[in-house]
Amino acid sequence: MSSRVCRTCGGSDIDVDQARGSAVCTGCGSVLEDNIIVSEVQFVEGSGGVSSAVGQFVSADGPVKAPLLGSGFHTGVGKESRAQTLQNGKRQIQQLGSQLQLNQHCLDTAFNFFKLVVSKHLTRGRRTEHVIAACLYLVCRTEGTPHMLLDLSDLLQVNVYILGKTFLLLARELCINAPAIDPCLYIPRFAHMLEFGDKNHEVSMTALRLVQRMKRDWMHTGRRPSGLCGAGKVVTMATATFMWLMTVPPPALLVAARMHKFRRSVKDVIGVVKVCQTTLRKRLTEFEDTPTSQLTIDEFMRVDLEQECDPPSFTAGQHKVKMQQLEQELARKLDEVEGEISCYKEEIETELEKSRPKLRGIYAAYAKEMDPEDEDVLSSPSDPEDKEGDDADLQAAAQRLTQDFLCQVIQEEGGRAPQEVETEGAGLPAQGASLASILGNASLGLQESFHTFNLPEPDQNPDEDPSPSGELDLEGIDDQEIDKYILNEKEVEVKTELWTKQNADYLKEQKEKEERITKEKEQGTYKEKKKKYKKREQIEAATAGEAIEKMLERKKISSKINYDVLRDLNQPAGSPASEPPGGAAAAPRKRLSRRRRKAGDANAELSAGATMMTKRFRRLISSTPRKKKAAPQVETAVVTETASEAVPEAPPAAVPGPAPAEAPPPVETEEEEEAAEEDCVSALRLVGDYGCEEEEVF
Amino acid sequence: MDCCEEAKLGARRLARCLQKLGFKVRFSAFRVVNVLAVCSMPFAVHLVDFTKNNRPIASYEPELHPAATYRIKNLKATVQVFSTGSLTVTGPNVQSVASAVEHIYPLLYECQKPRCK
Repeated sequence: MSSRVCRTCGGSDIDVDQARGSAVCTGCGSVLEDNIIVSEVQFVEGSGGVSSAVGQFVSADGPVKAPLLGSGFHTGVGKESRAQTLQNGKRQIQQLGSQLQLNQHCLDTAFNFFKLVVSKHLTRGRRTEHVIAACLYLVCRTEGTPHMLLDLSDLLQVNVYILGKTFLLLARELCINAPAIDPCLYIPRFAHMLEFGDKNHEVSMTALRLVQRMKRDWMHTGRRPSGLCGAGKVVTMATATFMWLMTVPPPALLVAARMHKFRRSVKDVIGVVKVCQTTLRKRLTEFEDTPTSQLTIDEFMRVDLEQECDPPSFTAGQHKVKMQQLEQELARKLDEVEGEISCYKEEIETELEKSRPKLRGIYAAYAKEMDPEDEDVLSSPSDPEDKEGDDADLQAAAQRLTQDFLCQVIQEEGGRAPQEVETEGAGLPAQGASLASILGNASLGLQESFHTFNLPEPDQNPDEDPSPSGELDLEGIDDQEIDKYILNEKEVEVKTELWTKQNADYLKEQKEKEERITKEKEQGTYKEKKKKYKKREQIEAATAGEAIEKMLERKKISSKINYDVLRDLNQPAGSPASEPPGGAAAAPRKRLSRRRRKAGDANAELSAGATMMTKRFRRLISSTPRKKKAAPQVETAVVTETASEAVPEAPPAAVPGPAPAEAPPPVETEEEEEAAEEDCVSALRLVGDYGCEEEEVF
Repeated sequence: MDCCEEAKLGARRLARCLQKLGFKVRFSAFRVVNVLAVCSMPFAVHLVDFTKNNRPIASYEPELHPAATYRIKNLKATVQVFSTGSLTVTGPNVQSVASAVEHIYPLLYECQKPRCK
């Protein structure tokens, strides 16, 4: 500090005493400065003779603004909550991260993610440990560490899909692109866990090659990365009898280990990589099918086959499709052959009929009458399918034979025969068309088929409500079929018994609960469990007076409130009201302030009304405008006991915020002055150690 | 028969069943809210490339699900692409599902895996 000149004597010799905190002129002895701000550590004696240092801890990554001296009363409380959340989060990150052996840089990055998450309010409604885990995994992905979501879920004993959901949400909200995980990353880690000793590196390299091979052979897409690694490490000693995993890395590990003559059983690998035996087996079989498996160990290390294979599930799918196609071809051929046979049959029969004797006379008349009936009888059975057509043909032939004695109607029969042939002929092309539809539609001819869907749809929509009354339309429902679905008496008994047995625990619980409730009701100690209340509809009122009246109507007011005061609040020259005691009055008063906020133009009256209120209430009013102003400082809010209720107050306070924006400052200053005058003990006691509010200047 | 009509028929049959069991049944305001369709591409798809090309609309987490999910916002349809080339499409109606397939086909074609052997 530059030496100053003494005001009284003009001397420049100033003695600054740090301990006493004073600056004194040595010439004339006048004190120039008193109570200099010093950076000394002071100690005070606490109860029991314990001395402790004076001061508070300010954390490095706490709130950016230092807490105000004498404590920013409301803002201090708000900041502390946020600081506490971050502190808690940091601690958990450190804990979890150290279990995963993440370095400090990763943990710091994770903490930064966490800070982002908290600032975006994404922690609401989620368990902190889930959020922490998701942040850590995000770091693992961006840094490329060999940690799986499975590991995290193992440590936390949480379902991996739940963690996955949280992780995906955070990645989306924070706009972070987590790069896809490469199975090769896991190999060194699993290798280490399988303890290959000196040859660890070699086995890892072999496994890496295998995984890369598998990648080329499409085994790794769509599979969990851990599976691929494990198989590579643990391989049979001599030959290609591999057991395979579901996902890609484990087979590679399996194979590599065996190639280097390490005995690692499937069980070892499974324990390390967390996949099941069946999947490992399957993976190995798939590898067996690839041409690479035919190479010897040396060849594999030297040569890289150019040829790449299709993914195993793809080939399996193709195989299935081929089988289906073959079956359909066979079926079609069978039908064709059958068709030919029946054609021959027809021809033979017509020939036979021609060679039969013709009837004359009265029998011809009978025959003519029978014909229309015959046609109906014959045409209906031959319609549906070929098999039934064959039977119907036989029947028709039998009928014809019997009628032939009577009839003379060769022309009708001749007409009938081609008719039947036609129906059979129609059957075959119909089947052919259906085959085509099954096999086809690989092209973008999708459009045609979907356009046909479109056409009926707009037609249907006007017909949508044939029964607006809700009557069930029974058209197209086969009652007999429905009856089959319904169980009969015996079945019902059996099923009831089964169900009761299965759900015995639940039923017992329910019964006990009922008994407990009835017992408590009798005793009179029955407590209704907290039911979730729907948000109460806000009171719409034009003026403050109206709002107060409506509120009075709605809410059951306690006896400790002076209603006259409330009603007179609007009048500026209001009668001096007796100040009602605090306590229960605080709650309705707060709502009162909320309603009055809604009224909007209540501020003028507020200042007048404020004189009648206790300091606490004034505190509330003054706090809400402060909240409106200091937007970043709004976290939780306000006064001690009303902290929890203040949060719902904040949104309604914010709503009329923009409207009476200019009013708050004058209101505040007025209130501040008034607050300064009054010395309410109760409020001070509440405020406690935070010091005197009055001295604050905004 | 159109699949939406079939769905309505199925629902009516169920209602009829309940009616027969003695419950008072009212059947009104039936509407299809979700349609699920499957189809298959004649080629395999490289999911990692597909996801990289279509960030952030496509998402692929092999640890959680073997398929890449592609959500089409304006159609409100979701397509799940498997590495074999099979697709599962879900949407609010048949038209949106069809459009989704049309939409995604060129994107898949780019990331296809050519058939060898």
